[in-house]
Amino acid sequence: MWTIDVLRSRAFRLALAFALAIAAAATVVFTLIYLQFSSASEQMVGARLADEATRALVENDDELRAQIAQRLASDLRHLDYAGLFDAKGALLLGDPPSLPPIRPDGRPHLVGSVAARGAGSSDQAIFVAVRRADGSILVLGRSLSEINDLRGTVARALALALAPTTILILLIGAFFARRAQRRVGSIHAAIAEIMKGDLKQRLPVMSEVDDLDRVARGVNLMLDEIWRLLDQLRHIGDDIAHDLRTPLAVARAKIERGLERGSTIDELRTAMADALNHLDRSAATISAFLRVSAMESGRRERSFGPVDLSAVCAGLFEFYEPLAQSKGVAIVFMAPRPTLVRGDEDLLREAISNLVDNAIKFTPEGGRVLIAAAAADGRATVEVSDNGSGVPPQDREDIFRRFYRGARDGAAQGYGLGLSIVAAVAKLHGFCLTVEDNAPGARFVLRGECLDFDSDEAARDTGAAGPKRLKASA
Amino acid sequence: MPQIAVTGAKPAVLVIEDERALAEEIRYELQAEGYPVALAETRAEGLRAARAGGAAVLVVDRMLNHEDGLSILKALREEGNSTPILVISALSTVDDRIRGLKAGGDDYLVKPFELRELTARVEALTRRIPESRATRLRAGPLEMDLVERSVRRGERRVDLLPREFKLLEYFMRRPNQIVTRAMLLEDVWNYKFLPQTNVVDVHIGNLRRKIDAGGEPRLIVNVRAAGFKLHVDD
Repeated sequence: MWTIDVLRSRAFRLALAFALAIAAAATVVFTLIYLQFSSASEQMVGARLADEATRALVENDDELRAQIAQRLASDLRHLDYAGLFDAKGALLLGDPPSLPPIRPDGRPHLVGSVAARGAGSSDQAIFVAVRRADGSILVLGRSLSEINDLRGTVARALALALAPTTILILLIGAFFARRAQRRVGSIHAAIAEIMKGDLKQRLPVMSEVDDLDRVARGVNLMLDEIWRLLDQLRHIGDDIAHDLRTPLAVARAKIERGLERGSTIDELRTAMADALNHLDRSAATISAFLRVSAMESGRRERSFGPVDLSAVCAGLFEFYEPLAQSKGVAIVFMAPRPTLVRGDEDLLREAISNLVDNAIKFTPEGGRVLIAAAAADGRATVEVSDNGSGVPPQDREDIFRRFYRGARDGAAQGYGLGLSIVAAVAKLHGFCLTVEDNAPGARFVLRGECLDFDSDEAARDTGAAGPKRLKASA
Repeated sequence: MPQIAVTGAKPAVLVIEDERALAEEIRYELQAEGYPVALAETRAEGLRAARAGGAAVLVVDRMLNHEDGLSILKALREEGNSTPILVISALSTVDDRIRGLKAGGDDYLVKPFELRELTARVEALTRRIPESRATRLRAGPLEMDLVERSVRRGERRVDLLPREFKLLEYFMRRPNQIVTRAMLLEDVWNYKFLPQTNVVDVHIGNLRRKIDAGGEPRLIVNVRAAGFKLHVDD
């Protein structure tokens, strides 16, 4: 039933309106031509008759009679009138049979109905009457039937021209309507597939650049993004499943063994404490996953402001100094100047804290941890390095992957969670996070775009950046 | 409608939580600490119970079976009810937290939490006293001068670093109250994350060494599975 749909479609309705408009315009044009044409012809006829009548005034009687006779004789189509009437209005010679009701003033007059000389004569004619010197009246006239015939021709031409034009426009409209309908139909079909769950479907795009194509391209880009996010979500799901099952399986095993073999309260307590540990780990994993996902979805930018990474590092240095001391690890802090970046202070602090946490954890007694922040050439750099066991080259890519746990000993637990948060924070800020060989040890470096210290925003929000900082303790 | 019977010495707590199992655990833990507890499962029930009065602290889940728990806070605050409220939530971003506190929450705890963390926070809320303008704090043998920034234990002067001073001040404002690591990080350091290492314990250890010199009884004690407590005899 495409016909009804086509008739209802926008394109067809537009074509219909267009056809009506064209018909109206053509009618107006033809009417104007018609009116101009008929009045011009009548004027021409009238003027010619008036000229002839004026000329005839000077002729003598015989000549005039001869001319009248000749004029009537040569008028095969019975369009001309030429008559001579006496002063009382009685016909002396020629045609029409009775004096037309006009004044003999030598000007053309339109007379509505004239007694016909021959069959088929028109009922309308233009007459000119002049009074001659002897009182007789000469009447010249010409029927308008010819002009009226022409008028009919013009009207027919208009009708003949309008009909095919309208039909043509409607056909073209129907063609476009059907084409548009086909495209809308294919888009509908694609949408139906997508709604059924096939998110790889895309709306069809023609090569041309029309409105529908632009909308379809926009929708396709949106679908790409949705697909990307869903894909990411699926991966997160897989990761979560993997990372949660392990501690859950262990916790379950501990409880099971406790139930089966635990005979004393102490044995049961130990089993439960172990199980709780692993449950805590899976809870921590969920929290970290959610935080990383929230960060990766990139919806936190509005909390961004100027952050002085030097001040953040100074605070963390002070925070971690006692821990390092208690482990016999020297900790050094270097930040000669403020290091301003645009970001979320809490997240950046958490990220750097994770790096420091790891560094202290992996540095043996007598080792050294360095926290440094610097700004140069528009680049802000935060470095956390140690001279501990380092990261083997083959692991350097992997450790930033979500929840990677390297082949480290048990003491290194939590390493993966921390670094994946660091990586997510770096990504959210558009910072670059790398790990390098510190020969020996690892050097984690965060590099990002530096804020101009003199910028208004920076000057307004950050005042606490001291001029020079260099601290060390052992 | 839940009734709150004021039986023990501790003030009553109203828990508005739709997950029955969690609500029961919270009740068990709070009752073990001596708090009379009433439970409410829906927003309407919770609001009724809160309006009826009797509870010194409200524990409100942010998401109550698709109802917005925060609207309870807003409604109560608009009515001029200023009962301290602890919001518990599965939403953990800073924005969520700020929204929770803005709606009238006094503290915010993210699921899953340790029950001891919750009881510690409830205790903190029941004892909440307005910041006094006193320039001297006293707790047991400890005496702190907030103007001179000096601390004495009995006759002995204790020299503290600025951070240690702030840490001790926090404890002295909450004598005999359980203080968790997360509370210390949030309130003393203004940090919104939990470090993976025992860095807070190290800070406490350093502080302890300075205030408990040579065989004096320990003032800041560990509370198993919860945190610390400044233990003084009143």
